[in-house]
Amino acid sequence: MPSEPQRDEDIFESQYIDKYLSEYASISSIVREALPFELIATVGGVVAGIILSGMTDELEMIPGLLVIYPGVLGLRGNISSTLGSRLGSAIHLGLITDLDRNNPELMNNIYGSLILSVIAAIMLGILGHFVTLALGFESAGVFKLVLICVIASFTSGIILSFIAALMAIGMFRFGFDPDNVVTPSIATLGDIASMLMLFLSAKLVVMF
Amino acid sequence: MKAGHQTPYYTVNGIIRRGLPVLLITCIMGILVGQILNSREENLISMPAILILIPSLIKIGGDTGSMLGARLSSAFHMGLVDNLRSNPVVHNSVIAASIVGLVSSISVSVLVYLASSYLGIGMPFHILLAISLISVFIELSVVYSATVAIAFASHRFGIDPDDTVIPFIASLGDLVGVAGIFIALDLLNIL
Repeated sequence: MPSEPQRDEDIFESQYIDKYLSEYASISSIVREALPFELIATVGGVVAGIILSGMTDELEMIPGLLVIYPGVLGLRGNISSTLGSRLGSAIHLGLITDLDRNNPELMNNIYGSLILSVIAAIMLGILGHFVTLALGFESAGVFKLVLICVIASFTSGIILSFIAALMAIGMFRFGFDPDNVVTPSIATLGDIASMLMLFLSAKLVVMF
Repeated sequence: MKAGHQTPYYTVNGIIRRGLPVLLITCIMGILVGQILNSREENLISMPAILILIPSLIKIGGDTGSMLGARLSSAFHMGLVDNLRSNPVVHNSVIAASIVGLVSSISVSVLVYLASSYLGIGMPFHILLAISLISVFIELSVVYSATVAIAFASHRFGIDPDDTVIPFIASLGDLVGVAGIFIALDLLNIL
């Protein structure tokens, strides 16, 4: 603490910064804010894990399915959480006010993320097939893997875009900041939805 | 660019052009994780309880690492960080993220124990807890070191850490998480 006399504003400012820093950077305040979200996210992860452990038949029947699973979940998480955060910004800017199919800001965001899902899924399927072969493992074939990736990402993308838009607009109306709520919820729901859709599309492809 | 009518702020083209490079990295890292899993596929299929454990356990590093990255990045933007070693923001954020990660890993092992015993594929609780704690310890050490290093490096080179740290950290968390689970399984002589 300074011992020599200072101007009032200086003292006020340094006290303000000290107080702000001790609030912003205290361990207990960070843990209190972050832990509940992370605990909820682990519940979502365990639900996704239960679906994965129920897929053992498909995993054996479709060699290469286990290779693309982390990628499908990773892409979904990435695309949906950036969508959620863009929708949050658009709502804060007043560009989106309700669930209106004629609003280009809303529809461009949704179309953009769906097209991204399909392009990235095709890249993932092709990459998954050839890397698996290159490492000397068996693969179900490029067509089957790409088909599974595309169906799983596109269907989970539609579900999550709808939920993200609904949730962002709804939360804002009820006076919550969508940025704080939508991104963590979408990350949790995204794991469950994409694992479920991966399971269903694998079942579909096995049938043919 | 602007024609007579109003062009929207978000365009489909812009969203795709900004999104693709990061997604390509996510794809490549995801395939690497998948190959590690694939090389031990038979072991995993014979132990479904480990399959339940994997998705939630590998997410912890990415989630808490992204939070850490976002906090460091905001601290840089506010000019609160100038020295790596003796900075309370860096210190406390790393400690807090570690607490969140470790508590979550304990909660994961409890949930997986309950779910797997309910499904009749259960493993002893102390083994699930040991796997979770060992793999999360490995995961957090690697991911947090990388997060702090990337955040400082991108700050020094004048790149916005928000654009670089977060997308990379989530993928890195998956990769180190899966490697950590297999290291734990080997240490415990389970595989």
